[in-house]
Amino acid sequence: MEYILECRKIFKSFGGVQALRGVDFTLRSGEVHALVGENGAGKSTLIKIISGALLPDRGDIFYMGQPVRIDSPRKAQEIGISTVYQEPLVYSELSVLENIFLGREIRTPWGNIDWKREEEQARSLFASLGLPHHFLREPMGELSVGLQQLVLIAKALVYEAKVIIFDEPTAILTEHETERLFTIIRKLRDQGVGIIYISHRLEEIFRIADRVTVMRDGEVRGEFPITAVDRAKIVELMAGKLLVEEIARRGVKGDHPLLSVQGLTRRPRFFDISFDLFPGEILGFFGLVGSGRTDVAQTIFGLFRPESGKVFFDGREVSFGSPEEAMQAGIAYLPEDRKVQGLFPIQSVAYNISVAILRELVRRLGIVDVRKERDIAEKHIRELNIKTPNLKTRVYSLSGGNQQKVVLAKWLSVTPKLLILDEPTRGIDVASKSEIHNLIAHLADQGLAIMVISSELPEILKMSDRVIVMHEGRITGVFEGPEKTAENIIRAATGERMAVTGGVGV
Amino acid sequence: MTNTGFRKVLRRREFTVLGLIVLLVVLFSLTTERFMSVSNLSNLLLQLAGTAISAIGMTMVIITGGIDVSVGSTLGMASVVAGKLLVGGYSPFLVLLSALGTGLVIGLFNGTLIAFGNVPPIIVTLGMMSILRSLMYQLLGGRWISGIPPAIRVIGLGKWLGVPISMWITVVLIAFFTYFLSSRPLGRAIYAVGNNPEAARVSGIDLRRTTLFVYAILGALAGFAGLVYVARTGIVQTNTGSGFELEVIAAVVLGGTSILGGRGTIIGSLLGAFLVGIIKNGMVLLNVPALSEGLVVGVLIILSVMIDVIRARGERS
Amino acid sequence: MKRVLDYIVENRVLFLLVLFVALFVVFAVSVPGFFTFYNLTNMTQYGVELGLLALAEMLVILSGGGGIDLSVGSMLTIVAMIIGVLIGRVGLNPSLSILLGLFAGAGMGYLNGVLVSYTGILPFIVTLASLYIYKSLALIIAVDPRFGPNPMPVSNFPESFYFVGQYRIAGIPFQVLCIFIPVILLLWLLLEKSIFGRYLYGVGSNEKAALFSGINVCRVRVTVYTLSGILSALSGWIITSRIASARPDIGTGYELQAITIAVLGGVSIKGGEGSIGGVVLGIAIITLLYNGMQLAGIHQIWQLGSLGVVLVGSVLLNQVLLARRKI
Repeated sequence: MEYILECRKIFKSFGGVQALRGVDFTLRSGEVHALVGENGAGKSTLIKIISGALLPDRGDIFYMGQPVRIDSPRKAQEIGISTVYQEPLVYSELSVLENIFLGREIRTPWGNIDWKREEEQARSLFASLGLPHHFLREPMGELSVGLQQLVLIAKALVYEAKVIIFDEPTAILTEHETERLFTIIRKLRDQGVGIIYISHRLEEIFRIADRVTVMRDGEVRGEFPITAVDRAKIVELMAGKLLVEEIARRGVKGDHPLLSVQGLTRRPRFFDISFDLFPGEILGFFGLVGSGRTDVAQTIFGLFRPESGKVFFDGREVSFGSPEEAMQAGIAYLPEDRKVQGLFPIQSVAYNISVAILRELVRRLGIVDVRKERDIAEKHIRELNIKTPNLKTRVYSLSGGNQQKVVLAKWLSVTPKLLILDEPTRGIDVASKSEIHNLIAHLADQGLAIMVISSELPEILKMSDRVIVMHEGRITGVFEGPEKTAENIIRAATGERMAVTGGVGV
Repeated sequence: MTNTGFRKVLRRREFTVLGLIVLLVVLFSLTTERFMSVSNLSNLLLQLAGTAISAIGMTMVIITGGIDVSVGSTLGMASVVAGKLLVGGYSPFLVLLSALGTGLVIGLFNGTLIAFGNVPPIIVTLGMMSILRSLMYQLLGGRWISGIPPAIRVIGLGKWLGVPISMWITVVLIAFFTYFLSSRPLGRAIYAVGNNPEAARVSGIDLRRTTLFVYAILGALAGFAGLVYVARTGIVQTNTGSGFELEVIAAVVLGGTSILGGRGTIIGSLLGAFLVGIIKNGMVLLNVPALSEGLVVGVLIILSVMIDVIRARGERS
Repeated sequence: MKRVLDYIVENRVLFLLVLFVALFVVFAVSVPGFFTFYNLTNMTQYGVELGLLALAEMLVILSGGGGIDLSVGSMLTIVAMIIGVLIGRVGLNPSLSILLGLFAGAGMGYLNGVLVSYTGILPFIVTLASLYIYKSLALIIAVDPRFGPNPMPVSNFPESFYFVGQYRIAGIPFQVLCIFIPVILLLWLLLEKSIFGRYLYGVGSNEKAALFSGINVCRVRVTVYTLSGILSALSGWIITSRIASARPDIGTGYELQAITIAVLGGVSIKGGEGSIGGVVLGIAIITLLYNGMQLAGIHQIWQLGSLGVVLVGSVLLNQVLLARRKI
């Protein structure tokens, strides 16, 4: 059998969005196959299907030559496919040994857990991987994240995994731990395990992988032995030839920056962030997983206090201790995860739209002026073209696109000066996406300053006047005008420090 | 025990409780000479047994992240059943089975509603508490049961080598369940479920079965405690067991089991039961009104839980 | 069938109304002595005492985060004792005593709220502990040193004190007309029309989103627990006035009933959902049930038991129906 794992023509969609379109993927025993692509390219969806967290809409999976249906994570583990996630799934109070063997304990003839034999097996496993093994009885929670990850690898081996998937494993590791991880991966490969390695750190790919597959927009754009390809080629495939629609903008810009961030730092999330934002400008923030954009935005919005650095808003130095304060000053923030952070699902559309400005709708004695509320809600429903049966409809029954518009409406009703949008069109159908883009442009034309955080390259290119790229907490590139290209952006996002054009800030 | 690192952490808490107990013993022996008498001490142990036995089950329930406020009513119900059968002249063995069975059935009921019906534990056990009170009243017909045959009273009052039999039974049960929690897969699964239910499910642990199990065991143990109660006091009243749940929860929480789940030992709960028992005993001997009991225990619970929460926050940051 | 179930979920109030009417008719027809002016107005008296507690639970449960108040019964008891002791033993002016009692209730509720919001301890633990603390305190206060070490009720109130609990205006009990109904109206205003009400529903339905929307979550929660204390205190005052005695054992078991009524009335245990109309109907239904059972000769102890069944049953029903809703 040539391949230990083979995926043929996998299709998967969520709502109206096509996440995977006819993806083919193969893996041999004793090989490290890297999977790259920017956020939203489909990597995690493919991995979720292979690891049993999702079922494909169409397509076949063959494991060890036989067709299989992996319908649960447990099933995947049982047949020998293990996944090591970025955020380790552990029992922090239980010992390392238990974390490894829970669910598959070695037992004595009496039925008790045979700690001795478990320890022996664990020791030999760790030894074969060249790892220390003195901490087997320690509580898992006391280990460093890097070590925890290694323990989970050991766990995969206990389950006799023949395929191990690593999902952005080095995101949380130090240099030294990364080295150690690579040594182990090589050992595993030599022992015949098939490894799928997902990462956006291209340097690593070249160090560890045998083959690489590049995905974009739910399709496989290329698949090569690692020796047959170079970094530039991969970047080109990741970015692709984009048909970027132009959006008509007046390009109004004020003289003085509305927002000026200087040297903002909050370890370990972001370091030394500096930029200016002018009224009427749309500033795009691009970056891959873990780049820290959301953390910067939430810090500006008052959810967190920075360690150092200054923020100037509307001419004054500010330091917001809560979202309430930021809102009073005129900043609005549309969170990434609208369901969890932005909406009140069981409440009505009118409620969701007006909840942030209730203070202004109040008559005497704290009573809300319902008519004003209704007017504002209706105005926004009209302007944003929100499709809802009526004002009282509970928001959970709306489509993703309309839900997002409701959250947008909520923040617009605050009539902010600065609007921060975090992944505003994630998971939304194409038509609504377009509408929202036009809306944003329109708002900017009216004088709002807008920060758009997005992981979708076409969106960033289309919307932004300037693009700031972040990588692992630092700004690696600022692009404007002719330099604002897909390629430059991707290169900066994957870690290359680029020459910065345009104003980064004083 | 197998987890040396684990033990290291927990030892601090257990030893704190032990230290508190020693402190109180010294304090009470100095302030009243009746404390250290044989009769007082054995009285203390006699009264403790029921709480300690139930605390075993409650520990496991709380480790999984749940709670059971119906244990008092379960104990009461089992007492009624046991009492009636004893007065009716049935064999002690049958009585034992019935007491256990009553508790087991109640526990299974609770567990089913919680595990399969998705009803929060506080609601299920709160409702069960009052349903059982009504049933108890109905069975008793508004009267007390007395005239328990002396044979059975040995369980509640008898001693062997100076220590009450009920205490010996308690020790055996504690030994067994401590072994169970540390060496059997199902026992470890209980910790896993309380620690990280998501991870547990992915590992293939049957959450429902585990949940059902802990509530059922607690029920059975409370049933047994009911039998011990009847044997000790010789009577069953309509309000038997009322307020018992607080004592048990206090014992478990004071003994180091975190109300958030995932951590705790049975030995710790035994120490917690001792602590509560000694405090109550001391209060009686010092003529502090019995009325203050709730006050003291309530405050202790809050302090104890606060320590847990503060510690959890400390670990996270 | 699916449509009927959906309709019931969306129109809990309607369902309860139907249930209420149905029960009323059944009792009126089959239980002698039920359908008399005297009995019906008598019934409302009991309804007030429990009802205030149920409204308290409603507020607390609405705030989400596992919100529940197990101490309402004990707060009722201790306030009753405070008022009784102040008037009957200390000889303080009745109005002042009542005011102090209400203030104490607010203070206790406030304490609960602070512990819940700022220490992160689960509400049921906080209020379970305060249940026992306040019950114990009530017993301690009830001890009259002149008569020995046991807790004693207080019954020597001035005539004017019984006004609230026993007086009637045009046949309708005073506490219903002048306290209960205004309270309901006020709470209705608060929940449905005021900004605080909006904030409360927001905090209960999605704490994170509330935070992100600039709502002060802690302040909202502390407020509802304080209100719970005030309502419990009101109830304690009214009961004492009605039975003409401040007794230290009076509030036992009331919390269960209050929670049951709130849940029956459509308040979701998860928070953020539930209307005051439903809870008022819930109060009416349970009061009706108790009264009917009593007149029919069923022993009082069964009230508690049937309540347990209703509690678990209604939450179970809620869970089942919730599962069908895709959020």
